[in-house]
Amino acid sequence: MPRIMKSAAVVLTLLALIPVLMLVKARVTDSGRPRLSLVYDMDDQAKVKTQRAGALFADGRAMRPPPTGTVARDELVGQDRRRDGRVDTLWVETFPAPVTAATLERGRERYGVYCAPCHGLAGNGDGIVAKRAEALMEGTWVPPSNLVDAAIRARPVGHLYNTIRFGIRKMPAYGSQIGVDDRWAIVAYVRALQAAQAGSPSDLPPADLAALGPPPAPAAATTTATTTGTTGTTQQ
Amino acid sequence: MDSQQKDPRQGGHDPFRFPKWANTIRLPVTLAAALAPLYILGLLYLLFSPGATSVGYQPEQPVPYSHQLHAGQLGIDCRYCHTGVETGAAATLPPTSVCMNCHATVRTQSEKLQLVRESFATGMPIPWVRVHDLPDFVYFDHSAHVRRGVGCESCHGRVDKMEVVRQAEGLNMAWCLECHRDPVPHLRPEDAVTVMGYVPDEPQFELGRRLRDARHITPKTDCSTCHR
Repeated sequence: MPRIMKSAAVVLTLLALIPVLMLVKARVTDSGRPRLSLVYDMDDQAKVKTQRAGALFADGRAMRPPPTGTVARDELVGQDRRRDGRVDTLWVETFPAPVTAATLERGRERYGVYCAPCHGLAGNGDGIVAKRAEALMEGTWVPPSNLVDAAIRARPVGHLYNTIRFGIRKMPAYGSQIGVDDRWAIVAYVRALQAAQAGSPSDLPPADLAALGPPPAPAAATTTATTTGTTGTTQQ
Repeated sequence: MDSQQKDPRQGGHDPFRFPKWANTIRLPVTLAAALAPLYILGLLYLLFSPGATSVGYQPEQPVPYSHQLHAGQLGIDCRYCHTGVETGAAATLPPTSVCMNCHATVRTQSEKLQLVRESFATGMPIPWVRVHDLPDFVYFDHSAHVRRGVGCESCHGRVDKMEVVRQAEGLNMAWCLECHRDPVPHLRPEDAVTVMGYVPDEPQFELGRRLRDARHITPKTDCSTCHR
């Protein structure tokens, strides 16, 4: 066999490996270039879809922003204690809908998503974002309130609701992220956090209070707690 | 063969006959010819497969936002920013005002946030580059999946570890159907949907089957489920 044939065979084999290696590289590395669309079909159609710029208007929006003062079809005009949390200038003192265990559970979940980063899971103002902002020593940062403080416990539920909706001082408005019912659910959960940390036995219904048994004698509180621990009468 | 190889005119090699050494390469050439179609098909398969076309897409974004910091280190829930994910088709990118919830007071002078502040001032959105992009003839609904307990991680990977968002899965039709045919490996309790790196207390297939039966999850595989 002529030598050139052998060399040609080796070169061809090596050349055949190049596309394979290129494809392997494409599979194992990340790329910032647009993905490969081999069969283009109708992947990108000339229509406007959610969260995509359109070519129709100069600013890329698909629709025109509504003029100021536009009222949506299902939007209430006038006063609504559920939506506003107040009537005229008076904060609503009671929840607009019954608070159930499901409400509290929903509130706990939403609180964890939107509030806990700053206010902390227990509401003490020690959320992880607050901690980091303090560690960064941001001059403009104002520490979040401790939601269990007496001042906040004393606020009507309507005021708390309004705070979620429009913000207060440095706290931004959460009205765009949290819907009306979820705001009330969060308020209910904040009330639960407050009751859990600053409640007193007198808040309990008589039946539950009776189930707890007599309060331990204050002088021997620690010993009583340990000795009665097994009987299930310690306070939670 | 030997008798035919003599060239009457030159007494040497006949250009119209195979030289003798050709016999030695018959096997390699036959093999090469037989394997060539396989080679080409293999290349096409690798080329067309989502592993090469889609996975690993990691475009540079106009703002160097880090999910690794916000979702990973700070542990902010996905839904803090992607508010539409439980109620609508689109998970929704947050409006700039959501960035400013914190960055109105935190890192107010950061150069990295220059574009965020400009966007907030002018009302023009930040031109984020879309990473997870389905073809326009696919109608995917986030809420339908999230509310049935499919974790964010199943499709988006460990976003909490991504400094820059990277496409982790192929998002191709065969991949969608894999889960539509058997969702068990991807079902989670309601409160664990946005958890990254979720490890169930029980074997996933037991948990998944229990959740599937309790929630009556029967994903459809007919065309009009996604193509409408």
